[in-house]
Amino acid sequence: MNARRVRTLTGVALAVALATLLAGCGAFGGDQNTFNPGGDVAERQRDLFLLGLWPAIVILMGVLTAVVYIVVRFRRREGDEMPKQVHGNNRLEIAWTIAPLFLLAFIAVPTVDGIIDLGRAADDDALHVRVVAFQWDWRFQYLDAEYADADGNPLTVPDLYIPVDRQIGVELQAGLNAAATDVIHSFWVPKLAGKQDVMPGRTNRMWFNATEAGVYSGQCAEFCGIGHAVMKFTVTAVEPAEFESWAEEQLAGQ
Amino acid sequence: MSGAVIGQQRPTIGEALRRIRLEAATYHGVWSWIATVDHKRIGLMYGATAFVFFLVGGVEALIIRLQLARPDASLVDPDQFNRLFTMHGTTMVFLVVMPLSAAFFNLLVPLMIGARDVAFPRLNAFSYWVFLTGGLFMTASFFTGNPAGAFFEGHLGAPDGGWFGYAPLTSTQFSQGTGIDFWAFGLLILGVSSMAGGFNFIVTIINMRAPGMTLFRMPVFVWMTLATSFLIIFAMPIITVALFQLLFDRLFGGVFFSVADGGTPLLWQHMFWLFGHPEVYILILPAMGIVSEILPTFSRKPLFGYPFVVFSGLAIAFMSWGVWAHHMYTTGLGTTANAAFGVATILISVPTGIKIFNWLGTMWGGSIKINTPLLFSVGFIAMFTIGGLTGVMHSMVPSDYQQQDTYFVVAHFHQVLVGGALFGLFGGIYYWFPKFSGRLLNEKWGQLHFWTMFVGFNLTFQPMMILGLLGMPRRISSYSDGLGWGFWNMMATAGAFLIAFSVVAFIVNVVVSMRSRERVGGDPWDGRTLEWAIPSPPPAYNFATIPTVKALDDFWNTKYVENEAGIPVPVVADGANGDDEEDAGHGIHLPSPSVLPLIAALGPVFIATGFIYHGNPWLLPLIPVGAVTTLVGLYGWALEPVTE
Repeated sequence: MNARRVRTLTGVALAVALATLLAGCGAFGGDQNTFNPGGDVAERQRDLFLLGLWPAIVILMGVLTAVVYIVVRFRRREGDEMPKQVHGNNRLEIAWTIAPLFLLAFIAVPTVDGIIDLGRAADDDALHVRVVAFQWDWRFQYLDAEYADADGNPLTVPDLYIPVDRQIGVELQAGLNAAATDVIHSFWVPKLAGKQDVMPGRTNRMWFNATEAGVYSGQCAEFCGIGHAVMKFTVTAVEPAEFESWAEEQLAGQ
Repeated sequence: MSGAVIGQQRPTIGEALRRIRLEAATYHGVWSWIATVDHKRIGLMYGATAFVFFLVGGVEALIIRLQLARPDASLVDPDQFNRLFTMHGTTMVFLVVMPLSAAFFNLLVPLMIGARDVAFPRLNAFSYWVFLTGGLFMTASFFTGNPAGAFFEGHLGAPDGGWFGYAPLTSTQFSQGTGIDFWAFGLLILGVSSMAGGFNFIVTIINMRAPGMTLFRMPVFVWMTLATSFLIIFAMPIITVALFQLLFDRLFGGVFFSVADGGTPLLWQHMFWLFGHPEVYILILPAMGIVSEILPTFSRKPLFGYPFVVFSGLAIAFMSWGVWAHHMYTTGLGTTANAAFGVATILISVPTGIKIFNWLGTMWGGSIKINTPLLFSVGFIAMFTIGGLTGVMHSMVPSDYQQQDTYFVVAHFHQVLVGGALFGLFGGIYYWFPKFSGRLLNEKWGQLHFWTMFVGFNLTFQPMMILGLLGMPRRISSYSDGLGWGFWNMMATAGAFLIAFSVVAFIVNVVVSMRSRERVGGDPWDGRTLEWAIPSPPPAYNFATIPTVKALDDFWNTKYVENEAGIPVPVVADGANGDDEEDAGHGIHLPSPSVLPLIAALGPVFIATGFIYHGNPWLLPLIPVGAVTTLVGLYGWALEPVTE
């Protein structure tokens, strides 16, 4: 293969990549687009992703450029002599061992910071919700006393309603009641927060909020059998006053 | 006189076995392959078998891609879809990439260290036959495992729990039928094969090296084989225990993973990934070794920073034991565990980066011959870099809460396992094909293969990153319109078919090349390592005289010496080339062929079948039948004289 062909093919590859990227930006709509967050947790997760993405793209471009450059520049030509036999270079080795450590420290700090921050318990004044996942649907129970009916049963609905700008403290339960066994599911509303698995036999917790009103699409993210693909739900974020009247209405009907 | 006659009429057991052995030594045709203990033939059988499974796994992938090409598709129903992706993952990991790597271990390690065979040739044959029977057993579940419990009834019966088989979805409560049993027993049987192979190569590499072949004169591929073998012998027992627990739960009402009885599903995940993450490096380290051999040859330069490449490989193998919980960030392990495993995962990228830099350093300033093996190696570097970088991004735990179980992860590990492992393995096939066939693979078909595979690969898996970011979860059998996923899925499907086309080009290439009359000598690439010092294909005894090794890249150093400027100058030929010794191998003792490893390998599938159908009085006796078969095989094996 000659250099012109290498250059042509590289050009084609880059053009395809660029076209893909542009088309990608055009298609970045979608109800489950993690790049279009509607709450603080998802936004923080997206920002952390971007913090890692840009250095990764720079390194990738560097490596790809180096690969193409080296292969083209040092390709064997007719009548080439044997190259000088270089066995290594300790300074270079030390350099490319140490340098990545700095870069990795740069992403490790916000990573650990984010783990601790998102891992803390929900605030006391959060809206407390129990998410019940079972093959293959969801129920959402409002655990705060004001959302219990006359018999003391919590308000239970098939799709989640939340007030905007209020923290939602979630506890996750597998199986319709505590005695029933079920498989593992994962609670995920991409535009509001990353997922948390619903584990049989233990209660996982998480929290999130919605900063913008709207209907958010959620979906089970852990393979759970035949109905996995259709195990969907919505989270509707409304103004607090609207939420209260919705809850009253629901309680009246329960 | 009469006493002598009696002696002839009643030969001792040893005498009888000797006669059987002599009989065996005359195996011809197919039987000579069935009874072979030659590491090269076993390697070729490993490779051919793995390639057939690759086609099976590929067809599964194509059906998956056809189903997902458009929203709301119904080519296969969700049940069939689940079984297909379970078998796709299981097949590609255990029946394709691992045995393809084993093929290279078998073909190359004895040649590279200057040995006449592996340490335990019959155990080696046993490994292969167990792999074959285990693979066929697992694949048979397509026909036997459907919920009706009987044989094929128009529905696939394969396991439906995903290749990761998370409890409690694999329990009898949630997975009826025998698919999961076939899966678990299949993996147990394949584990036996991997363990036997792992021990065999460790002993071979430690004990069988030619004089002067010190550890730090070993080719990097041999180092990576050693590291991989250690990972295998430590990782396989963990999944073995987990699979036994699962089978106790399923067959005998054990409660290891049953919440209602005080068990815990999370235990399975810990066990599976404590095996599963070293497994990832079991899949990639051999390909790294292959690339470390190809690049120096076609750059006409020694590997840059040999000790660093070796030690970074060992560091990866060591660190691979401390990162398993990065598969479990969202299971609720808590902040301390997530932080610890996040940071460990970040750190494992350092030795990986060292390898990439050293490969670039190897090519820098070289005289690079651009042909198919080199293109696959360069493709490996490029694609594996993407896999590595996305891996680092996954270590950013809060961000991974979003990517976990989405197509972003699917894209990531296909970058590593296809763009990495498979590209490296294909490069290895092109590089060593002439050594074992005496023929070069066709370069035009080869480049067609590479470029279509490269473009197809990027077309398939880069869109999956975008799909993951657009919120598409893994393992869903369909999706509705309006989520913005249709376009990218269609692109991925088109790419998958381009990959399929590239595989066809590879098959055509092998056929065309095998029909070619052109033959190559022992050293078509101006190679550096010992396997190029002997004829192609190598004689059964490999080396007429065991070489004495004086340096790293010993064979290269018999051909060239460096002048003061560091430029290699050809050594005046002194006739010491291996090609001259065609008929020198007559006095060499080689291990005799034996069918006993095959007989011993037949037992486990009978035992497994008996256990799976233990409620059936006609099939239950298969357990003792299988046990006796294996015992007979092993007993005969122990008594059989190895060599004259």
